[in-house]
Amino acid sequence: MPLLTIATFLPILAGLALMVLPDRSARIAHRVSIGATGAVFLITLAIWARGISPDGFAQVEEIAWIRAIGAAYRLGLDGLSLPLVLLTSVLFLLSAIYSARIGERAASYVVLMLMLETAALGTFMALDGLLFYVFFEVSLVGMYFMIAGWGYEDRQRAALMFFLYTLLGSLPLLLAIIGLYLGSGTFDMRAWIDAPPLTGIAAMLALIAMLFTFAVKIPAFPVHTWLPAAHVQAPTAGSVILAGVMLKFGTYGLVRFAYLMTPEAFARAGQVILAFGVVSALYGAFAALAQTDLKKMIAYTSVNHMGYVVMGVAVAALASDPRTRTIGLDGATLQMVSHGLVTGALFFLVGMLQDRAHSRGMADFGGLLGRVPWLGWAFVLSAFASLGLPGLAHFPAEFQIFLATLNGMPWGIVAILAIVVTAALYLRAIAAVFLGEANPKWADMPDLDRREKLVVVPLLILTVLVGIAPGWLIDMIHTTMTRIGG
Amino acid sequence: MIWLALVLLAPLGAALAVFALRRAPAAIALAGAGLGLIGALGLFAGAPGGAAVTAALPFLPDLPIRLLAGPLTATLALVVATVAAMVLVYAAGYMAHDPERVRFFGTMLMFIAAMELLVLSGDWITLLAAWEMIGFASYLLIGFWHTRDGVPGAATRAFLYTRSADLGLYIAAFLLIGVAGTSEISATLATTGTPALIAGLLLLGAATGKSAQVPMQDWLMRAMAGPTPVSALLHSATLVAAGAILLIRTAPMLPGGALLAIGLVGGITTVAAGLMALAASDLKRLLAASTASQYGLMLVALGAGVPVAALLHLIAHAAIKSALFLGAGVFQHDRDSTDLDALAGAGRARPGIFAGFALAALALAGLPPMAAFFSKDAILAAALDSPAAVWLLPLALLGSGLTGAYMARALKVLWSGAADRPTDAVPLMATGMGGLVVLAATLGFGFKPLEAMLGAPLPEPAWIIPAMGLAVGLGGLALGWVLAPTRLLGPLFGPASGGFEIAGGMQALVARPALALAAACERIDQFLIGTVVLGGVAGGARALAAMVEAVETRLLEAVRAIGRINLSLGRFSRRTDRDTIDGAIFGLVDRTIALGARARRLQSGFIHREMALTFAGIALVIGLLLAAPIYF
Repeated sequence: MPLLTIATFLPILAGLALMVLPDRSARIAHRVSIGATGAVFLITLAIWARGISPDGFAQVEEIAWIRAIGAAYRLGLDGLSLPLVLLTSVLFLLSAIYSARIGERAASYVVLMLMLETAALGTFMALDGLLFYVFFEVSLVGMYFMIAGWGYEDRQRAALMFFLYTLLGSLPLLLAIIGLYLGSGTFDMRAWIDAPPLTGIAAMLALIAMLFTFAVKIPAFPVHTWLPAAHVQAPTAGSVILAGVMLKFGTYGLVRFAYLMTPEAFARAGQVILAFGVVSALYGAFAALAQTDLKKMIAYTSVNHMGYVVMGVAVAALASDPRTRTIGLDGATLQMVSHGLVTGALFFLVGMLQDRAHSRGMADFGGLLGRVPWLGWAFVLSAFASLGLPGLAHFPAEFQIFLATLNGMPWGIVAILAIVVTAALYLRAIAAVFLGEANPKWADMPDLDRREKLVVVPLLILTVLVGIAPGWLIDMIHTTMTRIGG
Repeated sequence: MIWLALVLLAPLGAALAVFALRRAPAAIALAGAGLGLIGALGLFAGAPGGAAVTAALPFLPDLPIRLLAGPLTATLALVVATVAAMVLVYAAGYMAHDPERVRFFGTMLMFIAAMELLVLSGDWITLLAAWEMIGFASYLLIGFWHTRDGVPGAATRAFLYTRSADLGLYIAAFLLIGVAGTSEISATLATTGTPALIAGLLLLGAATGKSAQVPMQDWLMRAMAGPTPVSALLHSATLVAAGAILLIRTAPMLPGGALLAIGLVGGITTVAAGLMALAASDLKRLLAASTASQYGLMLVALGAGVPVAALLHLIAHAAIKSALFLGAGVFQHDRDSTDLDALAGAGRARPGIFAGFALAALALAGLPPMAAFFSKDAILAAALDSPAAVWLLPLALLGSGLTGAYMARALKVLWSGAADRPTDAVPLMATGMGGLVVLAATLGFGFKPLEAMLGAPLPEPAWIIPAMGLAVGLGGLALGWVLAPTRLLGPLFGPASGGFEIAGGMQALVARPALALAAACERIDQFLIGTVVLGGVAGGARALAAMVEAVETRLLEAVRAIGRINLSLGRFSRRTDRDTIDGAIFGLVDRTIALGARARRLQSGFIHREMALTFAGIALVIGLLLAAPIYF
């Protein structure tokens, strides 16, 4: 059974089915949404059970498409994409559950979410350059309407900024893809990886084009500024998907395209890429420290965490020892998943706080831990996960990235200062919002209800699971990275 | 193996049980700590003869979690388990009426499990993980009464101080793993040369954070905002011990340069923190400063190259200082304060507790035959034999003298004054404290066999050593009893009571610059968004809008033109084929013009219409793409 194709297109088909249903009430729409994302989740579990292959892509599904230009419908998986596919299906399912209270134009909302899921799964599983680009772009449109239609106060401007920024950002990728095609005569990404078609100046130009696109998407300093604006205005589930899934398009592309398809150029530009990673990590941490809006603060920590991913990949390109290369890539990939889980939880929790208080300013709260212990402790746990506490999801990933950095390119280790800064900003936020004397204004704030617990608790469990026993995840990543890095 | 599992899993399982059941937390905690103690005794009993017990659990590729229970680590595990059990007995009484007992005991058990993991760790990742976890537990426990004034700040400060210093441990671990190619601690200790020196200095940095050594001395005194059992367990015997434990375990690797730095940091701390203790106006803060001072002495021993002496003092200090804190907690229970003024006469009101407190105090001052007498002598002997004896010996002697002085001061305050308030019975608190006092008094007799078990017997020190030690101890006690601290310290009193903050301390040196940098980043971002991006986006949007408008106008014109052509065609065809094409074409023209107008309406319409349109557009594009094989 072509499970990959089914998983990819099931959401959009469910969305289309919803559009033609006679009854498009909110209740029906959310049922369709939870049903479809739940089914996709189960299918991705089956895909996981089928496993990956130590030598290349597994579970490849291929149909001839535009023969004349060597473009085909190709989907497949390896240890880089499978963890992200699992992350995607989990976050979309939880977002669907969380969103079940949305009544405003629910059917349109659900259709958009389902379209986004198709785009995200397609982006991670596509093995054809053209197909990848189509999925990559479709996700943009979906997110634009998500922000513009269901966001907060200043949503139109934020949505436009997001759209133009990332649209203009992705055009260079198209040029790079065309370049790769011209160099090889096919759009088969496997061919591009096995025998990188470009060399010399052409490879460098293609790399620069790709880096530009992915840097916007990751986002890396100084093209990160759309992120806080988009996050602040996006609806909660939109933020979760944006940070949890769509930022990974950038880091996934960084490995899948930039690192693998223009390896020589990547290694030559390695120091520059590493510098961007280090600056992003530090800059994101300090910029987050300056925020008083919780959602914006978490958005900036994404810049920090994604900076570590860039570092891990750059160090892998620069290091001479294959072990260090593998450790850097392992850590970078694991960090993508950890960030999705932890930041997803944090955005859900801030959204739940905002649903109750209609505010995100730290100064508006105080002493909430005694009032809403579930919300409070879930936030504390997620915050400590985000600042890299051992036993929680970010620690193994960041440990590997820093270990590889110190042994591959020692100067990059200055970025480790950021772990103190993130500690400071999260502790400050916890102290301001949840500790201290209780603000009487929120004396009757309700704690998490069943639906909300159903959304947050799985993420917390996964966060702990990745933290104490990352083996189930890191082993499949390692299988692929040993091949790539070795 | 079973003992090893018991040591770690009993407290962990008890913690989970406490949180899950949410009832009888004290009983579950005691059961967990008791089983953990049995496990530690089992490990310790097996340590002398047999090979070290090891275990490896999968974690990261090629970097498994390793546990190691050899003579040294089994001894440390026993120390932790013993103090933990006693403190929990005490806490069962101390916290009996707190509504948040579940959270308290659950967190304490989590801490104990993490601390045991730290002492039993066999690889750097496990050590580092446990090292950070105990910091987290400490944050939760200092912040236990989180609604009280000043408590969140104290918890935040403690975590940030120690985490800053932890960077040293992170980098040292990366370095050692990189050089040795394995994360196993014992294997990395073969590192030599420059990497060993750098790693040694980095480890010292980490140790200064956890063990509150100069320049990280002041978080510990401020950490006293938590419940007293927390101070007794974490901030005297276990968490703060982590720094010294780290250096004891890595001692075989440390080269001369690193040893000298360690010895000097320890020597300076033992004096500076001793002065701080003497100037303190609060009993718990006095004990906290004393803790930093005593760990300074241990670092002196490490710097002198005799880690066993440091270990002995660590063990003696664990029992003594926990006992002192527990005593302070009883007085706090009576007077609702730990301020020295408020505690005047508190000891007289409870002669039994006071006797235990005094015994522990005299033990810390180094009176024979109690535990610290032997360990302090070992440290002085080590300092005397060290190549840096010129520095280390005077500092160590001064630190020992100060110990006597501040303990005498505390005893004097507690004893002099009216015992006017009635007291209630505190059986659990007295039991927990009593056990530790007995250990404080008698542990010294176990030191010889322990040295033998560790395979590092210390030579019998020359008579001059105990004579010197006793002289400074008694001298300090006498001075502290007779003279007020302001007289004794003179001009040093002010800086000492301020914690010897240099140039405004961490707040001015680190926190404010960091916040300023953060504000600068924020301004850069505002600039990027405000000027570059929004300018660009707004410009782009305007250009795009103009483009769309132009395209649309042209489209409309085109439609109209087509319409006109069609119209004239129509006129033409009317003449030629009036009946057949006529209606159709006119219909087409009308529909095309209407479509143009409708397109204009849609463009300015609502989001969901645009969306539907976009969907149709996407569907069309996908359809065209899917159909590509047909027309290519």
